[in-house]
Amino acid sequence: MTLIDFTNLLVSALLLAGIYAVMSVGMTVIYGVMKIVNLAHAGFMMLGAYFALELFQRFRIDPIIAALLAFPVLFFLGAAVHWVLLRRLPRSDEPTLPSLLLMFGLWLVLQNLGYLIWGNTDRSIFTPRTLSVVSTVRLAVFIAAVGCLLLLEVILHYTWFGRSVRALIQNRYAALLTGVYEDRTAGIAFGLGIGFAGLAGGLLGSLYSFDPDFGRPFLIRAFVIIVLGGLESISGVAIGALVLALVETFSILFVPAGYQLAISFGLLALALIVLPGGLASLLAKVRRVA
Amino acid sequence: MEGTRPFLRNAFIWTAVVALPITFLGCTRKKTADAVPVGVVLPITGREAKPGQYQREGIELAIKQINQNGGILVKDRGKKLPVREIFYDDSSDQAKSASLAERAMSSDEVVAVLGAYSTALGEAESVMPDRYQVPWITTGAAATTIFNHGYQYVFGTLSPTTLLGSSTAEYLGSLVDQGKLNKGLKLALALENTDHGVDYGNGIKQWSQQHPGYFNIVFSENFDLGSPDFSGLLQKVKSSKADIFLADAHLQDYITMHRQYLQSGMHHQMISYGARGPESDARKAMGDGVDYIFAGIWWSRNLPYPQVKKFNQDYKEFTGHDPDSWYPATAYDAMRALQAAIESAGSLNRTKVRDALRTVELKDSLLPGQVLKFGPNGQINTPFVIVQNKPGGKVDIVYPKDAATGESIAPIPKK
Repeated sequence: MTLIDFTNLLVSALLLAGIYAVMSVGMTVIYGVMKIVNLAHAGFMMLGAYFALELFQRFRIDPIIAALLAFPVLFFLGAAVHWVLLRRLPRSDEPTLPSLLLMFGLWLVLQNLGYLIWGNTDRSIFTPRTLSVVSTVRLAVFIAAVGCLLLLEVILHYTWFGRSVRALIQNRYAALLTGVYEDRTAGIAFGLGIGFAGLAGGLLGSLYSFDPDFGRPFLIRAFVIIVLGGLESISGVAIGALVLALVETFSILFVPAGYQLAISFGLLALALIVLPGGLASLLAKVRRVA
Repeated sequence: MEGTRPFLRNAFIWTAVVALPITFLGCTRKKTADAVPVGVVLPITGREAKPGQYQREGIELAIKQINQNGGILVKDRGKKLPVREIFYDDSSDQAKSASLAERAMSSDEVVAVLGAYSTALGEAESVMPDRYQVPWITTGAAATTIFNHGYQYVFGTLSPTTLLGSSTAEYLGSLVDQGKLNKGLKLALALENTDHGVDYGNGIKQWSQQHPGYFNIVFSENFDLGSPDFSGLLQKVKSSKADIFLADAHLQDYITMHRQYLQSGMHHQMISYGARGPESDARKAMGDGVDYIFAGIWWSRNLPYPQVKKFNQDYKEFTGHDPDSWYPATAYDAMRALQAAIESAGSLNRTKVRDALRTVELKDSLLPGQVLKFGPNGQINTPFVIVQNKPGGKVDIVYPKDAATGESIAPIPKK
């Protein structure tokens, strides 16, 4: 392999990591605050993709801008779902069966709504940039993804809401004692997670064709990433996404492409056995030692 | 009086419990006696929803036409009986597909079951027909693994995927013979990780071995269905320095892979994605990026047969849209073959219908060659047509020559 080929692959892996990160971060925020494994994530990603498509087709809005607009819309949808459904679930420090079933059911409902509204035709967003050799769409998707992740970091570190989220992630009872209003924070956090799912779906819609079943392969990868990242760590998600993208992209050079998913799951198993706290815990240990 | 009320209540409940099932059983038997119940199991939701929907339309058009003509003549009933479709959506799920086929065969008393789009769903269903001794005609699964188990009730209206692979290689060989391509060109194969992909690759390899000197296969690798990224695989294809790129993929993977192919700036003398290529969704997703891709397909609406032209008209009237790719045609012919088999058997007895299916010949078939006949293993063996996308959204049949509607453009011009 030439240096140019290697660089091409590295760039592909980095761009893929950005996409992976933005689709996983929403799940992490929701899990961190509410201990809910959001199985409906793929359904909200699908809504984000169709939202971007509708804005593009009806109003000729650039699909990247449309994806960014999906964020606030899906944020409010997520907050509404929390208010109507999730706040009625029993509180727990561990994921519970009712929450898993509820989210799985919600995914099926969203999927079927998708079929009802948009039918089962494969849709895609095609612009003059779509097939350009210098993949401006991938680059734009990457920039949008990284920009949103940075914005989330700023929110989490410099706002009252962000501090509440981090407090709930670290220790729910201590957070409650210090005056964190759990219901409101959880509602906003869930909205934020769904907003990110919508954004990810909108961005992915520029890269892939989609139907109401969209998001399933991404959901599996999101699980791998958040476990790799340490379940509750935003920076861990970014690192997990990078590791998965690098491993998936470069492992193909040494093993057949048909084993790509097996490699991802191998990585998941390895993380669960060797690094149950994820890469974030490893980094924390390194920092402490240093 | 105190004691009679519970008695009356119990009597009412027991009467209802006994009478209701009998009433419904009676209804079912009446329906079965007055109609030919045919089970249809196809995905109209989920990953395979679109081809599944098209296949359903093909079957339902055939049923509508049969019923408009009075139905199917069943000699031992002494009259024509209308077809009653019992439809199930398997949601593109293998387990559901198998259980719905089982339900149709065991509970619905169907004469036969049609459907099973895609190899994976077809494989799941294929274990049921012999268990329940109900003829099953798959309209969308072609992998040889389904037909090589020695099943007695399994039939299929798609030619084997190995034939798709060998027809693809044969077409490329004909381009070499015409001087459009050079001899000894290098092939790179990227195959989906299914029996379909394996059969396709085997077909190309077999043809290449039988015709030495035409092509050298320098790269062959499988990939996972629904993969979000093919950049690594395409990099390996690029590194192989192949002249021709042949992939076997489902529609979504074809779109994702070819988008990344175009973005990578790669160019090959010829490119194919197996049976995918002319779909309108692909053109919507990639514009003129799909120009010059060729595909081996089981059927084309451009076939120059009068029955195909009539089918195109009828289908458009029935659905409001033109046939997209081959999907509805194999399903339409499957229902017509079943009709011919029932009429030949003169009975709704499933074993007699199975025996009739083995010998039935549909002489006005829509498929290439115009004759549909099931082989000894239950699968048909009609030839494939090779189509090529042309600029402006045109799709021409380019092989075989006697069905061609246009010339092959080979090698693909560089943009």
